[in-house]
Amino acid sequence: MKRVAIIGGGVAGMQTALHLQAQGIDPVIIEKESELGGKLRGWHVLFPTFTPAQEILIALRSKINQQNIEVRTSTEVKSFTSKSVTLSTGETLACDSVVMSTGFTLFDARIKEEYGYGIYDNVYTSVDIERMLNEGKVAMKDGSRPKRIAFLHCVGSRDEKVGQHHCSKVCCVTGVKQAMEMKKLFPDADVFNFYMDIRMFGPGYEEMYRKAQIKYNIHFVRGRISEASETFEGRIQIKAEDTLTGRPLRMSVDMLVLLVGMRANDDNSSLAASAGLLQSPSGFMQPRDLFLNNMKSNTDGIFYAGAITSPKNIGETLNEATTAADAVCQYLSE
Amino acid sequence: MKDVRMREGLHACMNCGVCTAVCPAAEFYEYDPREIVNTVQTRDDDAIEALLKSDTIWYCGECMSCRPRCPRGNAPGYVIQSLRTLSQKLGFFVESEKGRQQLALKRTVGDNILRTGYCLVPKGIDPDLHPEQGTVWRWIFDHDNDVYEQFTPCYRKEGAGALRKIDQQSMDELHRIFEVSGGREMFDTIERYSDKKAREMGYENGADDEYMMDVFCKNSNEHY
Amino acid sequence: MRAKGNSWNEYQKFIADDDYYYGRSCIRQNFFPGSEKAFLDIMHNDLGKNFYDDPKHSSCTGIGYHSDVVPLETTMTVVARQFSLMNESGLENFTTSCITSFGIYTEILETWKEFPETEEKTRENLYKATGREFTIPKCMAHTSDVMYHFRGEIGARAKHRLINVQTGEPLKVVDHIGCHYAKIFPKAGVGGSEFPYVLAGMVEEWGGECVDYPERRHCCGFGFRNYLVQANRGYSIANSHKKLESMAPYKPDFIVANCPGCSMFLDRWQYTIAEMEGTTYGENGHGIPVLTYEEMAGLVLGYDPWALGMQMHQVDVEPLLDKMGIEYDPAAKYLGRNGKYIGKPASAVVNCAPVDTIYDMKQ
Repeated sequence: MKRVAIIGGGVAGMQTALHLQAQGIDPVIIEKESELGGKLRGWHVLFPTFTPAQEILIALRSKINQQNIEVRTSTEVKSFTSKSVTLSTGETLACDSVVMSTGFTLFDARIKEEYGYGIYDNVYTSVDIERMLNEGKVAMKDGSRPKRIAFLHCVGSRDEKVGQHHCSKVCCVTGVKQAMEMKKLFPDADVFNFYMDIRMFGPGYEEMYRKAQIKYNIHFVRGRISEASETFEGRIQIKAEDTLTGRPLRMSVDMLVLLVGMRANDDNSSLAASAGLLQSPSGFMQPRDLFLNNMKSNTDGIFYAGAITSPKNIGETLNEATTAADAVCQYLSE
Repeated sequence: MKDVRMREGLHACMNCGVCTAVCPAAEFYEYDPREIVNTVQTRDDDAIEALLKSDTIWYCGECMSCRPRCPRGNAPGYVIQSLRTLSQKLGFFVESEKGRQQLALKRTVGDNILRTGYCLVPKGIDPDLHPEQGTVWRWIFDHDNDVYEQFTPCYRKEGAGALRKIDQQSMDELHRIFEVSGGREMFDTIERYSDKKAREMGYENGADDEYMMDVFCKNSNEHY
Repeated sequence: MRAKGNSWNEYQKFIADDDYYYGRSCIRQNFFPGSEKAFLDIMHNDLGKNFYDDPKHSSCTGIGYHSDVVPLETTMTVVARQFSLMNESGLENFTTSCITSFGIYTEILETWKEFPETEEKTRENLYKATGREFTIPKCMAHTSDVMYHFRGEIGARAKHRLINVQTGEPLKVVDHIGCHYAKIFPKAGVGGSEFPYVLAGMVEEWGGECVDYPERRHCCGFGFRNYLVQANRGYSIANSHKKLESMAPYKPDFIVANCPGCSMFLDRWQYTIAEMEGTTYGENGHGIPVLTYEEMAGLVLGYDPWALGMQMHQVDVEPLLDKMGIEYDPAAKYLGRNGKYIGKPASAVVNCAPVDTIYDMKQ
């Protein structure tokens, strides 16, 4: 029986493993965290349907369990080739092929110093909001209900200053989703989205954006926030330009939410070096091409699944994992 | 355009507005640095010429608050600087009220540099033209020797210390630098176009003190 | 507040320990000549450092450059001449007492790096004009960088601390950085452009506490041509006004500014606003004292406030001196050289009367 090492046990890794197993291949998932699930573990509900993240996680994890797929959690990979994976413990796992599905790293909002994340109490990230929603308590730092909330798009995306030139793709729709959730929790609050472009690329996304405007009265301001500072009352003063009217705008909000982008993992480069793989300028792994071989690396026997190659949503990641599994099967049968 | 500030200051703008958001001039005037950058990147010659003849490019305070924020690494302030340089070289600056003020800047700051080696000197800050400098400044101005000599051994005299008179050899070097590097030519250009414009505007003696004081003091209040 | 976000740690620059060429500032020597003197006195006498005060250097032309009457090529060549003078004095570290100059030097060094042909052209121009050649400084520091570098040594010699002697509380300080310190090249400034630490580091070291207020990063309002041309001064006062309104609720004990222009404008516009509207921003109808960092360091080290030139401010500094428990001779404030009586400034709204009473005693 052929054996395939899957590095990274998030959504992409789990789905790849299930599809390989279904085709008679023996997968092993190597996950550095103590449990499977990756970034999805921190998410509350998913756009555009408001499906609980747990539903997807539970479904995937229970199938992995039922199929008795080998999972090695709390295990880090130091280096690999298409035929073996070396763990940080020094142990080496032999295999016939490798799928790299280590996903992405969330942009650290503190790097955008002008927004004061980590300094001002009422500046949050989209990840904080998901966590607060999961904990069932969304409130300002002092526990009070926000009356005005601003979401800022493209924090750590489309930004040369922080070395992240790419679009993270999912933040636009996340901003709309979270704005709607806030409006549900705080119907009297004014909720603003500060954006440069609203990129509603997926099924139902544009409809959701429209609903946010019509049903939820969420305000969309075309302008990137330039800076945030704390007011004497502990609110957050923001400065932006409303570029559609061409006037500078200054307002105070109770909560500022930074929609943090997806960046390439720091260890992509060392892993890439060990296996002779190419990275794109953004630091994400570079597939052989973007069309017929978009899940193959430039090295035979090494494949990619999910956000390891570029920012993706959950649906795309699941599809790509399936395709990657197929490509592995074809490779192993050749 | 060859100006390095244009090459450094403008790559491609996505009109996000972070520059205008923190621009002191945008808060005060009918002014939007983003729109200027956007106009320049269209490479529309007519629109750029209109800009060079407008008040718009003269509103910026060159504080450069725009520079650290731009997600594309642009610096609208640099773009403005190079537009201003070009507007003066082409003589377009005299076509706007704010542009015509360049003569006042040349005759104050510019001439100060060539006369004293400094951009400003105490005796040039006349309390009557600078009422905002306050009562203490008037006292300093009226007693400059007694005030400054407490802090410098060489007030308006050669030597090392604050407000010293700069020695002749250094002044000669400074003048030759202005000759060689285009500084003198820029000053002359400002004077020449201003004089021509002054005559067009009905100042019989061209860009004389009267014209200079008018561009220095008068405000049409049409900028807001 | 700075302690919460330690991002300033990531912006540390090379600041040499000794042996500097000292570049004076047009604005600072005009309005704060005592500060330039104090800087050199502190470095020479208190810290035993070598700073060369060269009679031959000129203005960097920075105000002319940012008023757009002096072309970049000319400013580059003038700057190159200053470097040549530094070479001539045998020094390798350059420090300038002006933020506009510091911005100019930094911008030019970066431009030469990015566009080497501009450095070539400058060398050609300088040689043609003066026969001079030059090498680039090893260290380019603003004088506040140097003061920041020695903040520990100065703190160790402190006679006074930035503490209210009545209450024992740290003084609340607005630190205003000056746009051209780090906004043009954030890595050129201690702490970067968003949370600059160059003044905050001194304030905290000497016992005070910095105030973060919403318009902290906003320009003082200078705006070059927007102040220099009388018709444009509305811009300048409007921007200063915005800052003063924003900081007022925090009741700062004083403002300390990095840039001599900012120090002057934040002082003078308080006077003008008080005259125009009757509004004052300090306690008991006074203005908020605006200090240069040299004056702040001088007070900490026990220098006499009038020897520091603080009588040249429009806003009275006495309320601050009283809070710090500094002894001073009120009657000596407005005396000229050698104690000569030279009259006194007219009273103004922002000075809130005491000036008259103080001075009348002497008369």
